[in-house]
Amino acid sequence: MVKLKGINVIFNKGTENEKIALDKISLTINEGDFVTIVGSNGAGKSTMLKVILGEVFPDTGIYMIDDSVMNGTNSYKLAKFIGRVYQDPNSGVFPKLTIKENLILAGKKGMRYLGFSKIPEFGVELLTNLGIGLEKRLNTKAGHLSGGQKQSLAMVMSIISRPRLLLLDEHTASLDPKSADNIMELTKRINREYGITIMMITHNMEFASKYGNRFIKLSEGTISEDTIRNHADAS
Amino acid sequence: MIVSILEMGTILGIMALGVYLSFRVLDLPDLTCDGSFALGGAITVASLLSGVPVIWCIVLGALGGALAGFATGMIHTRLKVNSLLAGILVMTMIYSINLRIMNGPNLPVPRVSSNQEIQSFEDMSGGTKLDDLFSDFGEMKVSTKSDIKVNDNIFNNDKNGSDLFLIMIITAGIIIILSVFLRTDIGMAVRAFGSNKNAVQSFGISKNVLAVLGLVIGNFLVGLSGSLFSLYSGFADVQMGQSMIVTGLAAVMLGEIILSKVNIIYGLLAPIVGGILYQLLLSLAIKYGYRIGLLASDMKLLTALFIIAVIGISLVTQKDGKRKFKKGVKKIWSNSKA
Repeated sequence: MVKLKGINVIFNKGTENEKIALDKISLTINEGDFVTIVGSNGAGKSTMLKVILGEVFPDTGIYMIDDSVMNGTNSYKLAKFIGRVYQDPNSGVFPKLTIKENLILAGKKGMRYLGFSKIPEFGVELLTNLGIGLEKRLNTKAGHLSGGQKQSLAMVMSIISRPRLLLLDEHTASLDPKSADNIMELTKRINREYGITIMMITHNMEFASKYGNRFIKLSEGTISEDTIRNHADAS
Repeated sequence: MIVSILEMGTILGIMALGVYLSFRVLDLPDLTCDGSFALGGAITVASLLSGVPVIWCIVLGALGGALAGFATGMIHTRLKVNSLLAGILVMTMIYSINLRIMNGPNLPVPRVSSNQEIQSFEDMSGGTKLDDLFSDFGEMKVSTKSDIKVNDNIFNNDKNGSDLFLIMIITAGIIIILSVFLRTDIGMAVRAFGSNKNAVQSFGISKNVLAVLGLVIGNFLVGLSGSLFSLYSGFADVQMGQSMIVTGLAAVMLGEIILSKVNIIYGLLAPIVGGILYQLLLSLAIKYGYRIGLLASDMKLLTALFIIAVIGISLVTQKDGKRKFKKGVKKIWSNSKA
């Protein structure tokens, strides 16, 4: 589904601070995979996700989705295929908008026009499945929710338009252990029940070993370990 | 007096609404306002003198403001220039453009109808012969062209409430249209942009398009306000937009103090209420300020000081600030007792 072929990303090229963030990375992610990515700071994890999101363009190499070359495609155009959730719970939601408006906004792909969209049923269904009562607080501003609730809402918003791929960049890092466990269970269900391919960056080795059917370790911009696990092994 | 305060205050409120859109809804500080206000006025008066029907003059003035907003938006998004600097650049350009449009630093709005051929200075200015120090002004014409056709102004300055009614109708129309627009899909995206700029990209919306759109709408309102201001005041001047942004911000903040509830309608009403309140304070300061040694020219200083005070007070009233403030007061209190 996603193919990276010989991707090179060099920051501050030609200066004293030149840094090779990704060094000829080649990787194929298959439909339905749940890939956990680990690595120390500066290993290139986030840069790899940014390449897939179209936020960083590779210096060399080819990036493809379903055999279509995506090099140079703007990030908002790629958003039609890709959902994303970051570490900061505030980064994935619109704090000044109500939960209902957040869901309406996330329920559509692409540019908006003069029209009134209804709240997507799939969004309410996902919220109800979360079991934290957000479906009863649709008119509450997202900014008034707790960190865990915001992150849950961000997860729902990222998959409400049924993307092909969901990228998670340390999405449990700023949550308390209980909220983090809940979010991880939700992540697993998104992969299992809705068949959405997931790439998850984490520093939590417990999560990295417990979740996912493929484990990738990055060091200094290269893939140092790539293990495919049996579905039976992973939760 | 109260009628003219309401009239002028509401016209300034429309400008403040434009400032509210860029500063509060979009969260994109924009200084184009100073230029687009004068541009709206200049285009309106110049086109009125060219014989364009007054309604179209107002539309052209507002579109002029929108064009200025578009220019700022494009400089900000395409050339990656900070929105404040982009606004200053456009504002500076507009100064020269306004001089070109008006063929001079200012233009009067002639108080004539198409049936009249000669317009005296008194007719134009609305004054009396006593105001006219030079007798040859008595025969001055608006233009050397004898076949000039100038259409009626929408305002009659009669202070009988008809102007106020018209201004209120226009303002109510704007608020209704804006409150509907901000609830549409694209309007919601504009609000979302102001709430979290980077996240809008995640939902397939170009943040550049939203920034430009927001600035266009905001400056459309500022241009419209400038246009109405010129027709109401009877002139357009190249300097008339000077520090409008400060006035606009003061109006927004005053309105927010009065209507503190956060929702779309209250948000849109706040700048209008603030504009009227600002005008009231301005009139009081001009009328009674001399007793405490204030001059009319001190208003800019007072307005800016007011904004700084509101920002300071809002910091103190925030949770963390409140705690520190209480702690400070307690300390002073205990020291004084000791």
